[in-house]
Amino acid sequence: MRRRIFLGLLGLYFGLPLLAALLYSVATRWTDTPLPDGYTLDHWIGVFGKPDVTSALLRSLLLSAVVVVVDVLLVVPAAYWSVVHNPRIGSVVQTIAVIPFAVPWVVVGAGLQLVTASFAPGLFGTFWLLAAATAAIAFPFMYWAVEGSLIAAGAVRLSEAAATCGANPVQTLTRVIFPAIRGGVVSGALLVVATAMNEFALAKILVGAKFETLPIWSARQFVSRTLGDPNALAVVTIFTFGFLFALSALVVRLGRGRVSTIGRTLR
Amino acid sequence: MNWAPALPLLAFTFVMLVLPATRLVNDTFALRGGGYGLDNILRVIDNPVDRQAVAGSLGLGVVQATLASLLGAPAAWLITRMRLGGRAFWLSLMNVASNFAGIGLAFGFVALIGSTGMLTLILGGLFGIEDPFPSTGSFTGMNIVYLYFNVPMFVLLTLPALSVLKDDWQEAAAVCHATRWQFWRHVGVPVLAPFVIAGWLLVFTWTIGVYAVAYAVAASPGSQKLITLQIGATLESSVFGLERAAVLSVLLMLLAAGTTVLYRLSLKRAQRWL
Repeated sequence: MRRRIFLGLLGLYFGLPLLAALLYSVATRWTDTPLPDGYTLDHWIGVFGKPDVTSALLRSLLLSAVVVVVDVLLVVPAAYWSVVHNPRIGSVVQTIAVIPFAVPWVVVGAGLQLVTASFAPGLFGTFWLLAAATAAIAFPFMYWAVEGSLIAAGAVRLSEAAATCGANPVQTLTRVIFPAIRGGVVSGALLVVATAMNEFALAKILVGAKFETLPIWSARQFVSRTLGDPNALAVVTIFTFGFLFALSALVVRLGRGRVSTIGRTLR
Repeated sequence: MNWAPALPLLAFTFVMLVLPATRLVNDTFALRGGGYGLDNILRVIDNPVDRQAVAGSLGLGVVQATLASLLGAPAAWLITRMRLGGRAFWLSLMNVASNFAGIGLAFGFVALIGSTGMLTLILGGLFGIEDPFPSTGSFTGMNIVYLYFNVPMFVLLTLPALSVLKDDWQEAAAVCHATRWQFWRHVGVPVLAPFVIAGWLLVFTWTIGVYAVAYAVAASPGSQKLITLQIGATLESSVFGLERAAVLSVLLMLLAAGTTVLYRLSLKRAQRWL
């Protein structure tokens, strides 16, 4: 009985904020009554016609795409070489991967602001700095996913076999290894996209209003409550939540739960 | 040659992660007039708002880690004992909760327990309770919001560890006429303690580093001050020197380093039973 009450309260606690946001996104008018006066899908239809929302969404998608490409290009060769030829690479990379895992992203942003201020002031406030910073904090997810699937695919044996057949390292990587670890790369990419879509601290510090991503748009609506549009914010909130949930469900499915999704959406 | 394919990644992460960290350490001690000293640190210690922020972040970290352990550990235990259907339901609920984060989560809580929130109106309308909830920007309010991602995180982290406690052990203890209390006192708690401590440390570390949710709930005036919010505010206004952001950042890095070391130690201890 006590067990039921405990779990019931916990379930309510997790369900209610989501329900409140969901109701807000379909409410006609909701000011001083416990439940909305009526329900409508107008906000859902209207929001994606608002130019500021669509452009923020497109900016976030562009950022995610660039970050995924950068992380795949940087991580796959390094992880491959680490697993097949030089395990010391792996231990150095794992040490660096602790930084975005333990150090708050605000701190990474603060450091980058100071570094660019003295070395490359022109970079500050640009999309490219934000993309590079996001790629840097998201790279561990890609590395862990790719390294895991390299080991699972038996990359050492595969490269030996490819070398015996006369393939050079580049051919081995692109024609043999890459197809074998596609699942890991996709899992890593989904986690990286989820990070980039929801990342707030770096975007706020490094570019702010100059490149308004979806989280920055949400924050602007939230903070300026008198000027903002709470129904539109509710729609974007539920939309972002659904998007992230779909991504993490896909990752769990692909990795059968082996790839950890923990700690991704936090900051 | 043996490092060549990894050089782009190593160079990139060095420039984007290691260099900024060293720069923050440098700026913590570098003085405006040249040379190095402790002036920047002393100025932060003297500033009452910074002291409030440090106390607020540390307090929030400790309370969250403790509450997440107290609620998460029994929840995780109950989930492992469930039948397949119930277990799948709770695991996906935890997964759902961990995906509802950032600004959206703050919005969800304001829509629920804000001054015109759903639950506030229900409690006011049905039972006549005025102002049943604290402001989401207060210390208590932040605690209510933060548990939403910290409890699922704790559960998802400790769930795999709970399988360490084998059913056979419970049976063996029962055969030896041990009571349930004795089993937990002498077997259960000592075996699981390192895992719980590790989870406590991770929740603490992540809590003091949270920015998005904190930024949103602290938008109302008179909100709880936090280290991450002070850093963000300092970086945006050029009125204060950026040294202040550097000092507070280094403090967060030191805390992160300390908890990471302790986390590794407790996991190592936990591994004895795996």
